[in-house]
Amino acid sequence: MRSSMLKKLLTMLVCAFSLSAGIYAQGVIRGTVTDTDGETVPGASVLIVELNRGDATDADGDYRIENVPSGTYTVTVTFIGYTTFERTVTVSSNQETVLNATLEFDSIGLDELVVSGYAVTTKRELTGSISSVRASEIQNVSLQNAQSILQGRAAGVTISTTSGNPGSAFQVNIRGNGSVNAASEPLYIVDGVQIELGNTSNLTSTTPLNAINPADIESIEVLKDAAASAIYGSQAAAGVVIITTKRGQRGATQVSANVERGIRNLSRNVDYISSDQYVQYMGEAFAINDGVALTEDISFYTQDYFDFFVSFFDAANAPGYDPDNPTLPNTDWQDFIFDEGVTEKYSLSVSGGNESTTYFLSGGFEDTEGTAFNTDFTRVNLRTNIDHRINSKLSTAVTLNVSRSTQFGVCQDGNFINCPPSQAMFEAPMSFPYLADGSYNPETRFGLNNNPAVVRDEVDRSVEVNQVLADASMTYEITNWLNVRGQVAVDYRNTQDEQYRSAIAAPVQNGWITYVNRNIQNVQSRLVFSGRYTFDRIHNVSGLAGTEYKNVYSETYNTRGDNIAGSFFDVLNATATPVSAGGSNTQYIVSSYFTNLKYNYDEKYFLSFTGRYDGHSRFGADVRWAFFPSVSGAWRISEEDFFPDGLFDDLKLRVGYGITGNSAIGNFNSQNLFGLNGTYLGSSAVTPTQLANNNLTWEEAKELNIGLDYELFEGRVFGSIDLYQKDNDELLFGRPLPSDSGFGSITENIGSIRNEGIEFEVNTTNVSTNSFNWNTRFNVAFTRSEILELPDGVDIRPDDRFTSLQIGKQLGVIQVPRWAGVNPADGRPMWYDADGNISYTPGVADRVEYKDGVADAVGGLGNTFSYKGLSLDAFLQFSVGQWAFPGTDYYFTRTPDFLMNLNTEVLDRWRNPGDITYYPRAIEGGNDYPETDNYRTQLGTQAIYNASYIRLKNVSLSYNLPAEFLDGLGVRSVRLYASAINLVTITSWPWYDPEFARGVNDIYGNQIFASYPTEKQVYGGIDISF
Amino acid sequence: MKKIKLIKYLAFSFLLVGMWSCDEIFDDAQPSTQISVSDALETEAGVNGVRSSMYAKILGSFDMTTEYMVGPGALADETFNRPGSTRFNALNNSVSTSGTAHISPFGGAYELIQDANLIINSIPDGVLDDATRDQYRGEALALRAWAYHTLVRALGYEPGNFSNGPTSGFNLGVMLRTDATLDLADAEPVARNTVDEVYAQIRADLASAITLLTASSTGAVTSRNGFATMEFAMAMQARVELYAGEWAAASTAAQAAITASGLTLVSDSAAIGTMFAMANPEALFEIKVNASTEAIAGGNTNSGLAAYTSDQWVAQVPTNYVLDLYDPADNRLQGWYNDCIAQQTSGATANGCATINDEGFSVTKWNGYKGNFVDDIPYFRIAELYLIQAEAAAKSGGIAAGVGPLNTLRAARGLGPVAAGDFANITAFEDEILNERTRELVVEGHRFWDLKRLGRDIPSGVSADLKMRSDSFRILAPFGTTLQNVNPLLVENPEYEVSE
Repeated sequence: MRSSMLKKLLTMLVCAFSLSAGIYAQGVIRGTVTDTDGETVPGASVLIVELNRGDATDADGDYRIENVPSGTYTVTVTFIGYTTFERTVTVSSNQETVLNATLEFDSIGLDELVVSGYAVTTKRELTGSISSVRASEIQNVSLQNAQSILQGRAAGVTISTTSGNPGSAFQVNIRGNGSVNAASEPLYIVDGVQIELGNTSNLTSTTPLNAINPADIESIEVLKDAAASAIYGSQAAAGVVIITTKRGQRGATQVSANVERGIRNLSRNVDYISSDQYVQYMGEAFAINDGVALTEDISFYTQDYFDFFVSFFDAANAPGYDPDNPTLPNTDWQDFIFDEGVTEKYSLSVSGGNESTTYFLSGGFEDTEGTAFNTDFTRVNLRTNIDHRINSKLSTAVTLNVSRSTQFGVCQDGNFINCPPSQAMFEAPMSFPYLADGSYNPETRFGLNNNPAVVRDEVDRSVEVNQVLADASMTYEITNWLNVRGQVAVDYRNTQDEQYRSAIAAPVQNGWITYVNRNIQNVQSRLVFSGRYTFDRIHNVSGLAGTEYKNVYSETYNTRGDNIAGSFFDVLNATATPVSAGGSNTQYIVSSYFTNLKYNYDEKYFLSFTGRYDGHSRFGADVRWAFFPSVSGAWRISEEDFFPDGLFDDLKLRVGYGITGNSAIGNFNSQNLFGLNGTYLGSSAVTPTQLANNNLTWEEAKELNIGLDYELFEGRVFGSIDLYQKDNDELLFGRPLPSDSGFGSITENIGSIRNEGIEFEVNTTNVSTNSFNWNTRFNVAFTRSEILELPDGVDIRPDDRFTSLQIGKQLGVIQVPRWAGVNPADGRPMWYDADGNISYTPGVADRVEYKDGVADAVGGLGNTFSYKGLSLDAFLQFSVGQWAFPGTDYYFTRTPDFLMNLNTEVLDRWRNPGDITYYPRAIEGGNDYPETDNYRTQLGTQAIYNASYIRLKNVSLSYNLPAEFLDGLGVRSVRLYASAINLVTITSWPWYDPEFARGVNDIYGNQIFASYPTEKQVYGGIDISF
Repeated sequence: MKKIKLIKYLAFSFLLVGMWSCDEIFDDAQPSTQISVSDALETEAGVNGVRSSMYAKILGSFDMTTEYMVGPGALADETFNRPGSTRFNALNNSVSTSGTAHISPFGGAYELIQDANLIINSIPDGVLDDATRDQYRGEALALRAWAYHTLVRALGYEPGNFSNGPTSGFNLGVMLRTDATLDLADAEPVARNTVDEVYAQIRADLASAITLLTASSTGAVTSRNGFATMEFAMAMQARVELYAGEWAAASTAAQAAITASGLTLVSDSAAIGTMFAMANPEALFEIKVNASTEAIAGGNTNSGLAAYTSDQWVAQVPTNYVLDLYDPADNRLQGWYNDCIAQQTSGATANGCATINDEGFSVTKWNGYKGNFVDDIPYFRIAELYLIQAEAAAKSGGIAAGVGPLNTLRAARGLGPVAAGDFANITAFEDEILNERTRELVVEGHRFWDLKRLGRDIPSGVSADLKMRSDSFRILAPFGTTLQNVNPLLVENPEYEVSE
């Protein structure tokens, strides 16, 4: 099944090959080539071996070889994705001999079809490094978008959630971070359309890839090395992700419907202390400061703090307060802010077709509630993929994806006083949301307008995205070995951000509303010639050449009104004070030529050349056009005579080298410009914003890849090993200028980073009987980065704890003083100075390099067990070697400086001389320790935590009802399933979640601030096909 | 046949390719919020935009607004952190050699200087009519002088004070840049000039500014004071000479500025209270802010003057030192202070002010009178001229000469006169001037600089301990390692960490 759709693509892209016709005549061989599903196979190669002559099948799968001298011949039929068909046939003069061939799908392994740049190829032919994920691997897994599908399933692709909110973006890192200042997201291509990622909502974490329903995805390929991705030139340095959606198949109409429901919870909670424990803590601190040992009675001190808290938090107005027996509220804010969320998903698809037209139609609806209050994600999408063959030469395809998604714009990723994830840490248990009379408590930590209950009920932040992805293409078969395909595509996205704050949430402005409207118009066209020709049976030549144009226009408009007439209005018309209206737009244009030429000798020696010539409006006037070449080759050692038969079915060595570019450098960075700088007394201000650099260019990645593909034990074990070294040069840096010049820096191409690593993939069939199967898939990638070059050879922020860039070191290095524990005598925190002596006030010079924020090894392990109709799939994903500083948790929940929530770690505090513990004595505020730095702000190695984890990312159990149950119901199949995401996580990270990225372009990975935590999800669903 | 078809298709495709291959196709992509250098400097609209930018930069810069006004008091003894708040607590706790917090207007001031240099030197003739050109250049020169003075008082010692610190005769000021940076070569590092060179440049700029602005200085100064006025330039001459210790020149300049301005001190008790609430009747130059659309860097809620002092965070509240200076009859006490909580409109309840001052007061000069935590910001008030004149006249002509201007101010604020005989010596009079400056100019950006220029120790507002001795290296702000790294010619101020 899987091959059918790709086969059609192939038919469009790669024309059949044939051999020149003979001269004189005797007999005829003709026939039809079909596959085991009974579908005809166009473009298959039919060959009379002895005569070295043949034909290619036409659109109906028919072939005809005339003028065959009478005799007995061996005839072979071959086509990509199928095993070779071979028969002996006898031809007589003046007779037609009919030889119909049924091709069998090739099993897994090296004959697998792979979508590469502008073409489809077999894995056997590949000379570059490409990872693939198939729909079959994820059919039971309820995932949000294409990025989450790749997580742990593609070796060398590191994927981390930037946020746990439904609809959020993922950070996708293909073979390490290759850029410091330019964006380093991969190029995403959906059915040939390059997706523009910019100008998304700024209310919350979101991604344009939400437009694609995962249920519509047939396969995802990741082009990892330069040999594979150089065909995308200046956009390929961070890798390319190609998403292919399902298409229709010839034959009876198939209908399948899916209903799924699920719930989500925080994948883990953090424990905070109670109000009573808080009072005890503060009382101890007060007593120690007053010179009283904790072995004495300290009730005076605890009572003092109890009274202080009653007053400070206005406990007298709390529900249930009894003046005769006063108590402090004990609010579980984490519970107030995070709650169970419910998901519903429905999808329906119809596909089918006849000889000339095939179609795939699908519609989906999803409504997901997140765990933090108000959070949700909804998506409605409609997809239409239609392929039509106009005549034997001309075919056309139309793809349309229309989607509308909405998200609650939950704010996060910073120490914000009005964002739910940070509020869970900022509100102490003594604080409470509502007064006894039911009104909002005005005495929460940051006042009435930031009371979490007000943030929940008086603030709305909505994001609405309408997106159209459409393309139309036409393919013309010029000869039977050459075709041309033209495509026009549009990626249009409108994003509307609306924010409302009532007069309670925004007292100064008496309520306000902002409205931001964003558009992306991304128009592309391309023309691609592709051909394939075989000489003398053993010289296989194929290739493509094309040209492409892309124009991306992006605009933003915003308005704001203050002073809302009444709480029943939430539109701009109801605001009495129009405050601002703004708008701007930006644009870039890319024009390109590209080619890929491939030759192989007898499918034993392979050679491939790729070149792309890109012109880009972003590049400086002197360097507008750029050339990106790659060259690669492969050798199937197992085909050599000297290679012993037996162990290996296939063994292929691949070597590739190429250059790609990263053009994500800002649309106008090369020009000398004056920019708008606000207004003064009604007049717009302009000021110099950047100095010209006519030599500003793309960043460049030079990559060498050596790989080995293997298949052994009759296909029961197969996989690949890849070694790579990628040097990203010409990196954009703001070269610092003396700021007294009026400019802090100028953007220049002056840096270099090396990433190198090993990737290992193996797939095994451990048990295979008629009723029971057990398959395992495993991948792991090890990466290492090193900064080779920086502006003026000078390290950037060399002493900085988290964001230093130092030549010879890797990205994300952490530099803090070493922690020396808690002084058992007096409970003071201690660090080591540079000389190894105990210090209570370590300085910058005492910082040592300690861990880093980039994972050393990431990967996944999947096991599938199937017994008759029952199937269990368990997929573990892991990340090892990332260390990080949990900023918000650490700064605000470890000491009571700001009277916020306190982590239960404080319960292990030092109390009496002689106590050996890791948490210092209680303090009232940061400066309590005599001659000692504040434990909260003096970070040391004790503040850096290991974010390594192993996570049961997906587990699913499905059951196909036996056919006998379905007889007579008109139902083809029914599948019941249950699945879970993030069910179990093994980690030593004590905070919300070890899997995080601060943003899609975070290169340091070593700090996290109040992000929306990852959620644990459980689903149940049913699939019915007719 | 096949070949012909092939050629046809190739020809077709090359046609497409040909259409796409010229560089003109990239011309469609143009920035929407940026313009070219020639549009900016060679058109009237562009030059108007650059002139506006000088002012927009002041109001958009934290350095030149909230830090300029509130920072010097927080670094000295005027204000202190309310418990539970954090804004400027590093300046409050910048005691002795611990911490490195200081005030450095470096970024904000040089951004302003860049725009001023464009107006002064880079506008070709004929773009503006002569009168407008002279006015803009005059404004730019006055603002450049003010920016350099703001810089040099933070990063260098005043003329005559070069041995106040740990290094005897340390006379370096700041880098003088008097030409605009239009290309990379203009941005090359330059060394620090001496304080005397910087003062010479400031004096020259102010003199030129006054000449150029004379023609356009018609009508009341308060009708023109949203831009740098001639009267502001004259007042700056008084302030600069005061810092330079040129007492006679300062006294003369102060009188000249008072006379030229035609302004009188506000003397009505209610009007004193509302002086900062509207167009300030004493301002020789003030930044007038659109509360809805013009925010300072970081946003008003986070970083606005009012958000620091009287609303939202209520972070910097006056110390007992300040409040104890006022006579109960002083109209400023009623006008410029109020109960912290009563005054607040937004944010967590401002509990705890009473731990900083006995009255539980906040200072309300900056109060978000225009809404959205925004106030107009006067950078020179006539009251300061009387204080300059009082101090300078006393030091050049005897205490009796200084009592007059001091009494003029006291009378306007509802207080009786002082007599020369009340003061045992000039130091006692200087003490009184310092106290009067605090009473009048609290949270207007003077306290630390006044103590520094007079070689005084920096006291703490909340304890009897000193924050910094007058000879401490910490009196000067550091340039910092970022600037050191990029400028090999830079000499760091004494005893600060120097990067290798």
